[in-house]
Amino acid sequence: MTIAPRLKSSDNMTLAAPTILLVEDDGALRTLTARALRQNGFNVLTAATGAEMWVSLRTSVVHLIILDIMLPGASGFDLFRRLRRESNIPIIFISARGSEEDRVLGLELGADDYVAKPFSTRELAARVSAVLRRGGFEGAAEGIADGHVPEVLCFDGWQVSLTRRELRAPSGAIVDLTGAEFDLLSTFLSHPQRVLGRERLMELSRSRIGDSSDRSIDVLVSRLRRKLQASGSEPPIVTVRGVGYMFRVEVSRA
Amino acid sequence: MLALGLRLFRRMGLPERLLAILLLVVLVEIIANAVLFERANSFELRRDDAERIAENLVLASRAVAQAPPDSRAQVAAALGTKRFSLKWLPPTNRNRGSLGLANLRAQIIEIEPDLALADLELHLEELPGKGNIGGSLQLPDRSVLKFHTHANAAWKLTAGRVVSLVFPTLLLVALAWVLLRATLKPLRAVIGATRHLGSGPPRPVPEGGPDELRQLIRALNDMQERIHQSLVERTQTMLAIGHDLKTPLARMRLRLDEGEVESEIREGISRDIEEMRLLIESIQAYVDNGGEAIPAERIDIAVMAETLVDTAADRGADATYEGASSVVVCARPVAIRRALSNLIENAIHYGGNARVSVRRDGDGAEIVIEDDGPGIAEERIADALQPFVRLDTARSRDTAGMGLGLPIVQKAVRMENGTLDLRNRPEGGLRATIRLPLETK
Repeated sequence: MTIAPRLKSSDNMTLAAPTILLVEDDGALRTLTARALRQNGFNVLTAATGAEMWVSLRTSVVHLIILDIMLPGASGFDLFRRLRRESNIPIIFISARGSEEDRVLGLELGADDYVAKPFSTRELAARVSAVLRRGGFEGAAEGIADGHVPEVLCFDGWQVSLTRRELRAPSGAIVDLTGAEFDLLSTFLSHPQRVLGRERLMELSRSRIGDSSDRSIDVLVSRLRRKLQASGSEPPIVTVRGVGYMFRVEVSRA
Repeated sequence: MLALGLRLFRRMGLPERLLAILLLVVLVEIIANAVLFERANSFELRRDDAERIAENLVLASRAVAQAPPDSRAQVAAALGTKRFSLKWLPPTNRNRGSLGLANLRAQIIEIEPDLALADLELHLEELPGKGNIGGSLQLPDRSVLKFHTHANAAWKLTAGRVVSLVFPTLLLVALAWVLLRATLKPLRAVIGATRHLGSGPPRPVPEGGPDELRQLIRALNDMQERIHQSLVERTQTMLAIGHDLKTPLARMRLRLDEGEVESEIREGISRDIEEMRLLIESIQAYVDNGGEAIPAERIDIAVMAETLVDTAADRGADATYEGASSVVVCARPVAIRRALSNLIENAIHYGGNARVSVRRDGDGAEIVIEDDGPGIAEERIADALQPFVRLDTARSRDTAGMGLGLPIVQKAVRMENGTLDLRNRPEGGLRATIRLPLETK
């Protein structure tokens, strides 16, 4: 399921594999993670400390950084703040703490994703792909993303945070979605006001974070529709008889 | 003067205070008795009343003295009237009443001087029964004639006597009440603080009350600090262990992914890694107080419950949702989601199925999770909420977890000022009810 990632931003790299800088202090884990990412088609640079990270960043073009929160010396959060001051490189935190505070803090700071240890090769590769894609992979032609990370999307008063994978009703209340439902919603949001066939929907949704369940698209759509209808308004997803579904309302960036 | 006394009183310790109260009561008693004694001694009857008593006594003493000794008792009884009863006793030591009536005695002796020779004694009866004035005199052969009589004017003295008995008691009760209230006020704060001991940050109790109580409060505040410190250390240790275990687990998982391993073994090890991850995460979820730092948010608890049910059902479990389609509460989403998920997973694991419903209930939201399983033995329901207690010890090895599932639920629900109620359904199976306040903030 690995998608050979295309990068829109750097012209001469368009067809080359994106380069990922892995900052992890545990030697064995660093080697294993790097190998796993390489197997999934990424270029990988590694760094054991913050200092090594800065050296790598000066000497190579990096498209994404995977940063362990617990590093000797400077914490990942501090490194993150300094990184953000200098560049917009997408950053994924990995952490063994798994505490919710870390997750929330990380995402609040503006990390593009947060992966808890232990992670599987597949999970990490999928997250990396998803972040790279959000960062411009799908391109303007396909959706609304055009090079910048669209943090929050809005439609009809609803808000969707792609990084936190969170949907909020017009009242501001968090509305839970299953992983598959969220993937489906994301697909609709990147193709608003266009009719999408079931097959196409399935394909697009599956290529997102991954573990979509085997539920049929129809079941997922009806669940999603019910949740989006809870506040009493017209559901934004309409059935196009014989063809598929369409997200009928306009989507804007917050 | 009063202010000075109060200030002095405030500075006293508990025994000093009690002693002060006791002294005060004794003082009041002495004063009351002295006043009564004085009044009794100066008590006089109207002349005709005194004359009646004097005459009766002279006549009776003569009549009894002349009767043969073995019939004196009957004679004495026969001479008595309803208002003036008489009783003869063989020679004994007379016990005199505590409240002598000196003036009355003088009055009577003035009328009948003979009675002085007979060693007349008069007293006020402590408990008015046969009469309110009692007395006795000695016959020539040292036998005793006792009498009781009513004198109308004596009731005031009797009332005074009763008051002197009751008043100090009343005073004692009143003072004790005031003292105890004043003393218990800081004690109540101590009791309140002990209830919260160990949950959340220490809340120092303001020092107040007598010295002993101040010391107790100081000791309690120190203890709070120590408990808090040791809880913080426990949390740090547990989190550190969890953290340190996760890196090797991550290595194992990646090694498994890249190694050439038979699929059966791969699956087995995968499951083991997953179980270890869940164990570590349940410890982290239980001890991590970081949850308090995350602000509460508006969440649609109905959608949350339904989503968890859908996820379980998609996995093939027997889980159903029924109830409101949208109920918004204010809570920490991650903690509450984990709480609901734990209850649903428990229902499926131990009961075989989960029926979930959410409804608005007055100013709260009620979430009910039921199953059709065996339930929990009544006497073990409280145990189920204790951390690290597992109820299914006999067949424990096939269930993952460390006995933290329900304690995590309890903790999460309490953090939102909600309640968790576990009980067996009359039809069989367990019912867990969570009540959360609707978005009140």
